[in-house]
Amino acid sequence: MTDKHIQHLYWRAGFGLLPKQLARLSGKSRKELVDELFYNAQHTSPLTFDTSYFENITREKYLKMNVKEKRLFREKSAVKVRELNSAWVERMVNNPCVLQEKMLLFWANHFVCQDTNILHVQKYHNTLRENALGNFGDFVKAISKEASMIKYLDLKQNKKDKPNENFSRELMELFTLGVGNYTEDDVKEAAKAFTGYSFEFQGNFQFNEKQHNADFKFIFNKSGRYDGDMVIDMILEKKQCAQFICKKLYRYFVNDVPNKTHIEEMTAVFYPDYNIETVMRFIFMSDWFYDEKHIGTKIKSPIELLVGIQKVTSLAFQNWQDVIYLQRMLGQILLHPPNVAGWEGGQSWINSNTILMRLKLASLLLNDGVISVKEEGDFSDAFQNYYRRIAKNKLTNTEINWKRFNSEYKNLTFSEMKKVLIVPPLREQTNDYINKLQKISIKDQCIQLMSLPEYQMC
Amino acid sequence: MDRRHFLKNTTLASSLFFIPSFIRAFEDTLSSNLGYKRLVIIQLSGGNDGLNTIIPFQNDIYYRSRPKLALKRPDLIPITDDLAFHGALKPLKRLYDQGLLSIINNVGYPNPNRSHFRATDIWQTASPSNTYYKNGWIGRFLDQHGNEPYNAIELNESLSLALQGKKLSGMAFENPNTFYQLSQDPFIKQVTKQNEDTHLSEHNLGYLYKTMIAAESSAKYIHEKNTIKNSSIDYPKNGLAYQLKTTASFINSRLKTKVFYASLDGFDTHVNQVNTHSKLLKTYAETVEVFVNDLKAHGTFDDTLILTFSEFGRRVKQNSGNGTDHGTANNVFVIGNKLKKPGVYNPLASLSDLDDQGDIKFEIDFRAIYATVLNTWLDVDAEPILNNRFNHLDFI
Repeated sequence: MTDKHIQHLYWRAGFGLLPKQLARLSGKSRKELVDELFYNAQHTSPLTFDTSYFENITREKYLKMNVKEKRLFREKSAVKVRELNSAWVERMVNNPCVLQEKMLLFWANHFVCQDTNILHVQKYHNTLRENALGNFGDFVKAISKEASMIKYLDLKQNKKDKPNENFSRELMELFTLGVGNYTEDDVKEAAKAFTGYSFEFQGNFQFNEKQHNADFKFIFNKSGRYDGDMVIDMILEKKQCAQFICKKLYRYFVNDVPNKTHIEEMTAVFYPDYNIETVMRFIFMSDWFYDEKHIGTKIKSPIELLVGIQKVTSLAFQNWQDVIYLQRMLGQILLHPPNVAGWEGGQSWINSNTILMRLKLASLLLNDGVISVKEEGDFSDAFQNYYRRIAKNKLTNTEINWKRFNSEYKNLTFSEMKKVLIVPPLREQTNDYINKLQKISIKDQCIQLMSLPEYQMC
Repeated sequence: MDRRHFLKNTTLASSLFFIPSFIRAFEDTLSSNLGYKRLVIIQLSGGNDGLNTIIPFQNDIYYRSRPKLALKRPDLIPITDDLAFHGALKPLKRLYDQGLLSIINNVGYPNPNRSHFRATDIWQTASPSNTYYKNGWIGRFLDQHGNEPYNAIELNESLSLALQGKKLSGMAFENPNTFYQLSQDPFIKQVTKQNEDTHLSEHNLGYLYKTMIAAESSAKYIHEKNTIKNSSIDYPKNGLAYQLKTTASFINSRLKTKVFYASLDGFDTHVNQVNTHSKLLKTYAETVEVFVNDLKAHGTFDDTLILTFSEFGRRVKQNSGNGTDHGTANNVFVIGNKLKKPGVYNPLASLSDLDDQGDIKFEIDFRAIYATVLNTWLDVDAEPILNNRFNHLDFI
């Protein structure tokens, strides 16, 4: 494959490539490249960090706490959730299994959930990791039994005599079938099948037989004494479910604008086995995936942008709160979705506010906000004042591996650097301007390129 | 349509037909001298429990349906023979007493959707429940009548669908100063300058460039124009207050912004709703009252209309978790000094004649409210914005 196609593959299946990585992959066949992506993605490991304080607190201990202690417990837990967010970003930056991380981002915005109990959140997160390239049916069943989900969509309030249809509705509308492929009655009846779902204090699933409605349910014009897993199986039997997921995968990995023929091809591969790895491999092996009209035409999500910049310079945040602050400014806080439908993506990431923050991001992280604007033959310091003012509000404290950065980029010409950092062709006017600027240091050149609208694309 | 309205519309339409668009800009100056009308929209996100906001305190069905949640005296403030405010709405009652509030009951639309996401989209795009619109109703207003992103501003980190148009979208930010600082970067200004007068496509990259160019000029405009920053009025400390304080400073500085969009989140009260709901209503009412006073102090209240809505109401019957599930029809608040019918605009619908899910049946289509606001308040033709003709209501 051409370097351009390799780069395309690695921006969609990962977060871009460094010059040396690209050099190593250059010239390999499509199959070799795709095989390597999936081979690496086999090695998954759960994301863990110190939660010992919470593991030592049992339900009995918790119930004995007074109001103040309970509040402290909840506050500590909420802080840990933010820590998990930053640990996740760090893993994305450093994990060589890039596809694993990319799939995880996709599923976290599919099975959307939010919670403040760290043990439950961590367990949920690792269930997403474990199933990211597995079987979709097993995945949905596992998610329906997660403590965080049981809370988020009110399965705990879904009782035998008083059903709560929140989970049942979102299961069909957002997780599996999409609007129009089920009726209001299906939602109501399916809610009965998910009665009795509960969890232990530390988050393990618990089925409460007494609260389960074992009566006949009438779903999709069939009737039976269905339980939750059986309802999920009935949903999976519908081809619309496979179509719905394939369309979403296509829009995430290929193009914002769905292509009916390609989605049909994907559905034929995905249905009825629902093997996620198979359909993903199919996408990356397809000729149409490498079509010119897909390359460099997607707008990076804030996380893709941030992780991409961090990878270029092996950037780490000294204060983990900073990475959450940046996510807030860019409009995407991991583990904190806007609603159960998740982030819409595409042009919706961009407004007058986020565009400026995005363009400034690389310079703020790498150079206290300074982007060099000295043109060839220009020796004045006309913009010193502006930067003096900006530098006072240093945005974040970062640790940057400049040595590694230099060894990666020092032997590249400016136009080679352009190729490795930016996926779409530059607009003519922009290209003319950037070529006029003094080539002071590779760092400055790199920041200039990463401050262009074109760098926002992948 | 009555005769007066018909005449107004036809003369407006026919005169616009002959005036070239560059002269139409003149109208803007004209209207700003006579009073530049502004709309402030407040979204109560999550689905506000309308029945526990405006309470049918003489209704047995209400009390039977909500054994743990129904409000009784002294936790409510009666305003008519059968309706009362939630006790936390004291500040709103004061606006009501001054004739500045109109409560429109049973607002909804046919075939209601009970998902937050979809219902919010329906309200924000003004689409029928079975049709998907990609642009918001304010976005379409901007497409047809706006010039600059700052014509509609959302005081939030991200831009809602409501303000997204096809050609022109509004702006979103929490803090106008941070926004201005960012926009002044010399490199970004240069890249902007190089591309300013070039053809930019509608595709993603063209969209990024367009947004960048518009952001830079809008930030500059707001920075230069926003001069009344320190209001002497104290706002409460909450997110909505921060949004409305900024809104007031923009309005009082006479920015050419037609629509402001603010929101208060947390109304999705499925579980143990009593305290949560009461706190939210208190926050809303306190903040709005201060906002109104701030505008009054600067002589801008007469030209401001405040519209409050939520994506749906909640089920009449409480659930097993001492909360309420997603419902349908709900009340909408209109606040302003030019109300034709202050007070309770229409009686609450029957609680014995519910739909098959146990929810209140709608009587007034929310798009009729939008149509009225567009035609009567913003003085534009609502039909091409709403893609449909709706009866006008009589509240302004």
